[in-house]
Amino acid sequence: MAGRGKLIAVIGDEDTCTGFLLGGIGELNKNRKPNFLVVEKDTSITEIEETFKSFLVRNDIGIILINQFIAEMIRHAIDGHLESIPAVLEIPSKEHPYDASKDSILRRAKGMFSAEDFR
Amino acid sequence: MGLSKTEETSLLLDEQLLQYMDQLESLQEKRSALNTLIEQGWFSLSKARYSMGNKQVSSLQYASEMEPQIFVQARAVENDALEFCTERITIQSPTERVQNTTSVEDIGPKEEGVRRRIKASKDMAEPEELVGASTENPSPTSTKPPSESHRNNSDQNPQADPLKWFGILVPQTLKQAQSSFRQVIELSAEIATLQAAVLKTREEFRLALKLSC
Repeated sequence: MAGRGKLIAVIGDEDTCTGFLLGGIGELNKNRKPNFLVVEKDTSITEIEETFKSFLVRNDIGIILINQFIAEMIRHAIDGHLESIPAVLEIPSKEHPYDASKDSILRRAKGMFSAEDFR
Repeated sequence: MGLSKTEETSLLLDEQLLQYMDQLESLQEKRSALNTLIEQGWFSLSKARYSMGNKQVSSLQYASEMEPQIFVQARAVENDALEFCTERITIQSPTERVQNTTSVEDIGPKEEGVRRRIKASKDMAEPEELVGASTENPSPTSTKPPSESHRNNSDQNPQADPLKWFGILVPQTLKQAQSSFRQVIELSAEIATLQAAVLKTREEFRLALKLSC
């Protein structure tokens, strides 16, 4: 178990989760919690946030993939995550194309220079 | 004549800025590729859903037990940069497993065992299986045809291909969707590496800028 590497978690709509599970990232057994969350219309923001935080706390998850429109719902939680692992990747969904201006990582990277640097 | 400290710092800052721009450009290219591949995957899923039925390609089909086939290794490389690499576990189909086991069995026991060919025609299959089973299990009473035992294993084996959740014969579009999403997963690891590199370069640049002032 120790040498097998980390998991890739996904928080997304049904199509996104189905696609990635088809790709082979899913883990689900009696002893452990799943490494994915299918977000539907009636999924509460609290549940999404709790799932995201639980993925952050797990030491066996290396990357978290999240639809950007879901990331917008829990933006404060994503902005608060500053560690390198797990890496958080925002991905588009069918109804919401990817917008680089909303991506947490790129927003942090965009602030390369501040006004004080030019004084 | 050596460069002055200011010139050295300026060169370092320029180098870091160029590296930062290169990383941002690579990140943008990979993101664009990822978005395209994901869209291809969704399109293939939709086509598969159209031919198989709405409920046949949905979360209702997820297995009750799943084992991941792909893992990601996060390791530190030079300059404390973080690199994400994916590794995939290859799955043998039941037929491959049977072929592999029978090929191993054919080498040894054929020369050692005594085979009875006197029995009636309906029992002709048994000597072959008895020889094969003896290498794994000495008691002949517990003999099971290898294909059946492997089929049971694959049913219970949570590492079975996720494609099997949707039926035995799935349309080509579902396989295309799987292929697209597998590529997306590989790209995700590269993007995660680039994101970490971009943030690290930014921190180093800002630190160097502060020290130069």
